[in-house]
Amino acid sequence: MPTGNTRTRPKPFVMPQFCKACGRCIDACPKDCISLGTQIESSTGFTPVVLDLEACNGCGLCFSACPEPFGLAPVPNEFETELFDPAKTFGPRQSTAIEPVAIPDERIPLPDLEPLVLKGNHAAAIGAILAGCRHFFGYPITPSTEGAELMAKLLPQIDGVFVQAVSEVATINMMYGCGGAGMPCMTFTSSPGFSLMVEGISYMIGAEVPGVIVDVMRGGPGLGNIAPEQADIKLLCRGLGHGNTHAPVLAPSTPQEMLEMALLAFELAFKYRHPVVIAGDGYLGQMTGRVTLPDSMVKPGMPEWAVWGDEMHRGNLISSIFLAEPDLEAHNIRLNEKYERMAAEEQRADLYQCEDADWLIVACNTPARMAKGAVQKLRQEGIKAGLFRPITLWPFPIDALASIIDNVEGLLVVEGSNGQLEDELRLAMSHAGIRHPRIENVRHFGGILPSLAEIVDKLTSLLEVAA
Amino acid sequence: MSNVFYEKFERHSHGEGLKGQSTHYCPGCGHGLIQKYLAESIAELEIQDRTIAVSPVGCSVFMYYYLDVGNTQAAHGRAPAVAIGHKVANPDSVLISYQGDGDLASIGIAEIVQAAQMGIPLTVIFVNNAIYGMTGGQMAPTTLMGQKSATTPTGRERLTGQPMKVAETMALLDGTVYVERVALYDNKLRMRTKKAIKKALQVQIDNRGVGFVEVLAECPTHLKMTPVETERWVKEAMEPIFPLGVKKDLDSDPWFHLEKPSFEPDRIIEVVGATSEETDRHCDGFPTHIDSHDIGLKLAGAGGDGAQTAAMLIAKAAVTEGFDSTHIPSYGPESRGGTSYADVHVANEEVLSPAAPRPHLLVAFNAPSLEKFGPTVQPGGTIVYDSSVIAEPPELDPSVTLVGVPCTEIARDLGAAKVKNVVALGALQAATQLFPRETFLTSVRQALRHNCAMIELNEEAFGWGARAFEEMAGAN
Ligand SMILES: Cc1ncc(C[n+]2csc(CCOP(=O)(O)OP(=O)(O)O)c2C)c(N)n1
Ligand code: SF4
Ligand code: SF4
Ligand code: SF4
Repeated sequence: MPTGNTRTRPKPFVMPQFCKACGRCIDACPKDCISLGTQIESSTGFTPVVLDLEACNGCGLCFSACPEPFGLAPVPNEFETELFDPAKTFGPRQSTAIEPVAIPDERIPLPDLEPLVLKGNHAAAIGAILAGCRHFFGYPITPSTEGAELMAKLLPQIDGVFVQAVSEVATINMMYGCGGAGMPCMTFTSSPGFSLMVEGISYMIGAEVPGVIVDVMRGGPGLGNIAPEQADIKLLCRGLGHGNTHAPVLAPSTPQEMLEMALLAFELAFKYRHPVVIAGDGYLGQMTGRVTLPDSMVKPGMPEWAVWGDEMHRGNLISSIFLAEPDLEAHNIRLNEKYERMAAEEQRADLYQCEDADWLIVACNTPARMAKGAVQKLRQEGIKAGLFRPITLWPFPIDALASIIDNVEGLLVVEGSNGQLEDELRLAMSHAGIRHPRIENVRHFGGILPSLAEIVDKLTSLLEVAA
Repeated sequence: MSNVFYEKFERHSHGEGLKGQSTHYCPGCGHGLIQKYLAESIAELEIQDRTIAVSPVGCSVFMYYYLDVGNTQAAHGRAPAVAIGHKVANPDSVLISYQGDGDLASIGIAEIVQAAQMGIPLTVIFVNNAIYGMTGGQMAPTTLMGQKSATTPTGRERLTGQPMKVAETMALLDGTVYVERVALYDNKLRMRTKKAIKKALQVQIDNRGVGFVEVLAECPTHLKMTPVETERWVKEAMEPIFPLGVKKDLDSDPWFHLEKPSFEPDRIIEVVGATSEETDRHCDGFPTHIDSHDIGLKLAGAGGDGAQTAAMLIAKAAVTEGFDSTHIPSYGPESRGGTSYADVHVANEEVLSPAAPRPHLLVAFNAPSLEKFGPTVQPGGTIVYDSSVIAEPPELDPSVTLVGVPCTEIARDLGAAKVKNVVALGALQAATQLFPRETFLTSVRQALRHNCAMIELNEEAFGWGARAFEEMAGAN
């Protein structure tokens, strides 16, 4: 509030084009200096107020009653012409915010370390720590919770932050804030929890916010059970919330890979400014195995786009809003280009004995282990089987498949779901214009995973019928 | 006008024409005033660079058009969660969660309650205009009884709820340090609002907790009144239901402080439990006398029998010896039902099927486990069972070796019932020579490296288990 005698206190002036004629200033003026005008402002259609400042004592009450930042303002002491400087009103944005620059990540070498024996969930958590993640948000859900529990134990020891959110909805939105601040952050969840996160994931994709979500898939639909299904593949590959959404989906099959994929996930998340999902299954989360640690760890830098809360990043905005249709179309085209780049650069698959295979078994996660055993068994029996294991479920590693598919008689898709992996396979082949060979399957639901013997029997019986 | 507003609203229709300097709010809307006071407070407190404004979903969704601070736009109702994410990323940032009544008190009620209970310092500006503005005038949680809206066409009645008193509710939660309800309908109250907003920012800057300001605001458009009539309506209709005033003003100490995260490699290595120190190996090769390349084990008992710990010790021992190994516990409700079983594999190269439906070796701590899993043991396999609790083993494949060891009794004699699993491991080692004795003992010692006092007891337990088998074998 201006002080001093009435002479020096500034009086108001009104910029007619920014007055919405709400009349709040009229009510506010104790001296009745302000009244509704009669002249319609052609640029707005409103009738701005008029001022008669004879009695005005510069009390300033009218300024504080005007909801418009540029509606009613004190006359400054400077030259009035400056107020109408067209460069300010119609030129580039006026802000003193400075141009942000990116601080790159640092890679810190680690000594040779003895292998650890870790649960899959723990391996992914440790992978995240080595990837530079110091912020964890989560809500407990079996069979993923050990990941959160380990983070709750370890992060405070390295001055990181663990927050147990009120729900998965809050979790993903905390990640949106933390990721938007440019920090690597993650959560562990399982299927029902992932369902709750998809709105937030759509926002993350729209606003280009990185983050890593580990979904340790369990049996569904509904509450289902906590046994290892793979029935979120559809959700992860085709249903990451509303709008034009895709994100890399990584499918580890050992605790070792849980760690490696956590490292990869953070790398991709920041490379693309995008959320990344690690899709495990209940077995993989719970299973303990040998885990070799990498030879370096990451100290994250700071991306130039972060909304960090300091001078350098003040001009930044995290938002998924593009109000004008052409703007939103352009944004979607940019997202599509990003998806194409991911599809071109990030496809990953593990091919085992595929070179001369007549039949390819297609499997991921824990079932891929059984499938690998089946390939060994079938090979011993003289059957030329191979294992095609997608490591990225999205983008589907179609290029690797395309290069070997010509000599293949059939594909046997082995999965703990109702054909969700097979759907991804078929869709990818269709998009790639590959005429697919015969496709057969071994499927289980409800948390039963296909066994090695079942896979062997299925393929053997297929070949017997053919013979 | 404060310099915390952009001088040109570039984000508002690309700043073209009039939109470059006028808001998107309807004439007389309370949002414009509140944001003005917010901008002034930020300027006066000199926190423009540190501030991050979280825009909600609602009419104020475009707050980021105007405030020249760090900006994040949140999903409907989630602004407090988003703000917490920002705040823990950078504890020096100053977060404003700006929310309407639908956003905060309806869809986002869980998020605000968590934030107000946790008390991580934030400033919440709650704009109560008794209506859903953005979606076109539907009922809000704060809509008054009898008030007409698009979804209460004949006026709000009991079946559609009762107006929620948010400020009072927030004052009850432990994380808020300052809660006030203010209004905008006259000069005095407008000054009060500005002061309240400034104070709500100050308690955050002081790291004390959540500062919460509820502002009774005008939505002339959906009240279908002139702005000045709306001011009167707020005074006459709203204020009696939502009394103004300070609801809470604690004289509390600063508490919020976060260290900078550590990226010190030595510290990280230690915390994740890694070491460069090699562990001695004692195996000459894979125990091919049990299987050529992959041995399956099952350990089963009641919860508390230590089956999972024993399984983990075997897996660790195997990895130390350079083999691959997996362990899958039973988890969730299963483990709550009183049974606990573990599937373990030890493979020369790679474990392919981590489940052990047909194990080579079984350790059974109680009769139901032996009953259930005994028949699944492969021909030529071995079963170690606790003869203290299993009097009569069932009839099984004659090629399977049955080793009954009084694990519970031995453990009790040693004064620690919980080491019965290590007694069983001793017997398993002696009976099967899965790994040399030293391999197991190394595994036990490593597991207890932070609890050295227990090592001797466990070694003894192991030894007694092995001896019990040897005596039994000698007697046979
Ligand atoms: C998940 C979701 N549900 C519903 C909506 C639609 N929606 C947008 S704003 C709004 C209500 C806003 O009312 P309020 O929070 O009171 O803010 P006001 O517009 O009155 O300022 C609703 C329901 C949405 N955007 N997202
Ligand atoms: S400064 Fe005071 S007296 Fe002058 S017009 Fe404004 S409200 Fe009236
Ligand atoms: S308060 Fe502002 S917008 Fe409203 S009539 Fe007065 S000058 Fe115009
Ligand atoms: S609809 Fe109501 S709350 Fe929304 S801008 Fe208009 S007056 Fe303000």
